[in-house]
Amino acid sequence: MIEILSASALATVQDLGRVGALRWGVGTSGAMDPLALAAGNILLGNDEGAAAVEVPVFPFRVRFAQDCAFAVTGADVAARLDDEPVLPWWCTQARAGQVLNLGLPQGGTWRGSRAYLCLAGGVEVQAVLGSRSTQLRGAFGGHEGRALRQGDTLPIGISKAEPRSTDFGLVPPALALPLQVDGLPAVRVLPAAEYTRYSEASRAAFWSEPWKITAQSDRYGYRLAGTPLEAVSALEMRSHGIVPGVIQVPPGGQPIVQMRDAQPSGGYPKLGTVIEADLWRLGQAPIGSRVRFIETNWDDAVAAMAQTRRWLDEARRLVDLRRSQRGGR
Amino acid sequence: MMNSNSDRVRQLSDWLGGTDIARLELRGPGESICLQREGGRIVVAPDEPALDAQAPSVAATAASVGVFLHRHPLRDSAIAETGTTVRSGQIVGLLQIGALLLPVTSPCDGVVAAMLLEHGATAGYGTRLVELHPSSTTS
Repeated sequence: MIEILSASALATVQDLGRVGALRWGVGTSGAMDPLALAAGNILLGNDEGAAAVEVPVFPFRVRFAQDCAFAVTGADVAARLDDEPVLPWWCTQARAGQVLNLGLPQGGTWRGSRAYLCLAGGVEVQAVLGSRSTQLRGAFGGHEGRALRQGDTLPIGISKAEPRSTDFGLVPPALALPLQVDGLPAVRVLPAAEYTRYSEASRAAFWSEPWKITAQSDRYGYRLAGTPLEAVSALEMRSHGIVPGVIQVPPGGQPIVQMRDAQPSGGYPKLGTVIEADLWRLGQAPIGSRVRFIETNWDDAVAAMAQTRRWLDEARRLVDLRRSQRGGR
Repeated sequence: MMNSNSDRVRQLSDWLGGTDIARLELRGPGESICLQREGGRIVVAPDEPALDAQAPSVAATAASVGVFLHRHPLRDSAIAETGTTVRSGQIVGLLQIGALLLPVTSPCDGVVAAMLLEHGATAGYGTRLVELHPSSTTS
């Protein structure tokens, strides 16, 4: 078990998401940086989709009520276990009673905004509709369907890995699979159904200008600020299904990127869709930072997913090799 | 199945004979061998002079082949700057093997004296990576 010591709100239990429930009007939820979650689980010998604690507000503190191996992935938050520094993207053994403190995200060579506290065995809350992710809008899943509060305790599942096989790490994919334009983090976008309904100048601006992530950005969606996007003629649409990654343009012309807690339908015109392989990059982009969009196509989007898959497979292979070597000594 | 070290050396020599490798060094825990080409023959090279056992410093060594890192890839500063006081087992550097990072740990309580390999340089098994001055007092 771990106990939440921080009063800071907005930390939630997340796994890789609740897929297949859109037909009942249930959005996907899940980690804003699924790659960090999967990598943390790989470090600990968990299934890639084991549930973890997503932390977007710092400092954040937890106490281990039992011995447990853990890894903090995502943003480098200068973690400390009692007084000992803990490296980012590193699996470490905690003993019962120890306190883990996550500090502010560090600049360093890459700045993220969310950290994942992954535990050997995973956070063992009840799965709902096949997922342990917190569904904030529906108030179910995760821990009591809500963000974590001070004093909450989370049960830990049974670990499959050998308990002593800790003390190694992974090079974060932000460094191994970098994507930038003019020094800004970038994400690839597929033009969507209403793309051609926007003026040529607006389409050009969308690809060539930086977009600021405003303070009105959260797990539901990122509201961006930039040169307003102008439709050639007024667009009136009925509500239709949408998924995380869809970029909607409300009448003001400032786009909204739907994120993990997006509702399953919407009525604004769709300019494009951030490809699934790049959603984690956006999920880690801090509020106030700027991002760039890169036009892509279906084949390249599928290839990007395959590249992400290869990175995870290789990480798993190297970690398993490390475990088997240590076990043999 | 090989049943003795001399059989293994002969086998290695035969393999080397069929290549254009000039010199082969193998190191493992407590063992090392160096084979080199002399004319058309493969011979066992004489042992390198042993390191001075009286040296006042000790070193953290590479437990694997890899790329030696002074800094974590996400960070701008070294894990253990020269002059840092460390405890036995404390991480003083990293070895990168593809996406994997392994710890390079101090073999003793002491002070980091010098980095013996550049950040980003490739280390072989057993390469001395970080020189340390052990604490004189026993704790």
